[in-house]
Amino acid sequence: MALKEIYTEYQRPILGLASVAGLLLAWELVLTYLIPVNPFFFTKPSLIATAFREQVLGGRLSHDLIISSRAFLWGFSCAIAVGIPVGVLMGWRRRAEYTLDPFLTALYASPLIALAPLIIVVFGVGLVAKSVLVFLLAVFPFIFNAFAGVRSTDRLLINVVRSFGGKERDLYFKVILPSTLPYLIAGSRIALGRGLVGVIVGEFFAASEGIGFAIARFGDTYQLPEMFAGISVLMIIAVVVTEGMRKLEAVLAPWRVGQEAR
Amino acid sequence: MTRLVQIYTEREHQILGGGFILLLIIAWESVPHLVTLPRALSLFFTTPSKVSETFYELVVQNEFQTHFYVSAVEFLLGLGLAILAGLPLGLIMGRSSVVDAMFDPYVTALNATPRIVFLPLLILWLGLGIWSKVMIVFIGALFPLLINTYEGVKNVDRVLVNVVRSFGANEWQVMKMVVLPNSLPYVVAGLRLAIGRAILGVVVGEFYGATKGLGSMMAKAASAFQVDVVFVGAAIFMGISLIFTLTVKRIEANLSRWRPDVVKTF
Repeated sequence: MALKEIYTEYQRPILGLASVAGLLLAWELVLTYLIPVNPFFFTKPSLIATAFREQVLGGRLSHDLIISSRAFLWGFSCAIAVGIPVGVLMGWRRRAEYTLDPFLTALYASPLIALAPLIIVVFGVGLVAKSVLVFLLAVFPFIFNAFAGVRSTDRLLINVVRSFGGKERDLYFKVILPSTLPYLIAGSRIALGRGLVGVIVGEFFAASEGIGFAIARFGDTYQLPEMFAGISVLMIIAVVVTEGMRKLEAVLAPWRVGQEAR
Repeated sequence: MTRLVQIYTEREHQILGGGFILLLIIAWESVPHLVTLPRALSLFFTTPSKVSETFYELVVQNEFQTHFYVSAVEFLLGLGLAILAGLPLGLIMGRSSVVDAMFDPYVTALNATPRIVFLPLLILWLGLGIWSKVMIVFIGALFPLLINTYEGVKNVDRVLVNVVRSFGANEWQVMKMVVLPNSLPYVVAGLRLAIGRAILGVVVGEFYGATKGLGSMMAKAASAFQVDVVFVGAAIFMGISLIFTLTVKRIEANLSRWRPDVVKTF
């Protein structure tokens, strides 16, 4: 009965793996033996795997990924550099909060991606336009999470630092920053997802290279296996990064800091 | 004077917030009056008054309405389908651990990936008509709804479920009396996120491949340097999603007054 014990212990991963493997197998088998594949309309896992290998070996994939990640990193770092100070300021100075909050909330709640055509027209096709898009989408989670993090700082700890003669700097680095950190990790997870949208939309709409462009071009030329390979690569990256963030969040802040958006 | 000070201190929050937005709009409007822009830049520049003028013209020419109608249909169909599919699926995943374990890899993978990458595929399959956009709205809006319903069901108080069970309730009665009321605030929160994702889907879907709709109107205008029209579209999308999300947010706040304040998410 050891098998049964193993099953009950690892029920979740076993069932998950089985359902993924089953789907892939069924997909492959149905399209091989029951319905012949129409290569302009659909594809099957074995063809996707071949296309994936060819793209990796040809160096095309890594080239596209480097192009896309450069735009992403520029935009994302600017979002961090701007978002955190603004959020901390809003959390620390009540007047700054009053002044900026309605405006920034309005921007956060609205689909800023609607400005994409304008941004591409102004900044041209290439790195800058994409980075601006990423920045615009990714900055708000940082602002509002830094804000919430500062707000949630324990007043008592602040008073302790003050009473022992701590300077303003000590306050920031010894109390506020550590207590804001879990919020920032949670915020960066959300910002990551939004930033990816920025890169992909920028590349769909106007680009000559990059992973989003590659997917769109393979779609336009009916190269379905290549397109599916591109989509899978993006999916794998997204899952690894967001799940990594989630793990990090769980380590740094075992309590939930209240982010229902996944 | 003291009276003015009193009014200010009472309403500082609104005055500062509204004043800042007003100030930005005035500053934007007065830029061309204060400095002469170089020709290259003035091509991309517009003012709020010009944007509203263009909006009025588009409405008079009936162009705005036709595009708006298409976008609205895509939005409502996609969101409606997402609600119809997301709530039951979330409920089932929350109540059955086997279904949960089997669906979890797909939900995690599809939720982490920006759903926009499926757009070229959907256009290939469904064409440039409204259905490719309905589908992208659907898969965008599905996951916030599904996941929040799931979380709501999962966070049900075990004690309450056991009490109802011990009094002889069947699975359906447990659902009706405990599970559904408990997950309502989560579902509403999911709906708010779903609305944002749905609008995103409409916008981007129409940018990329469409012949009608506000997004395609904007994309065409941008390539013809009609910056006013782009801003009209952007302002409409922003206004609509603001109204929707803030309304739902208010409902949410009423439903879950007991929950501690969380970080803003949209």
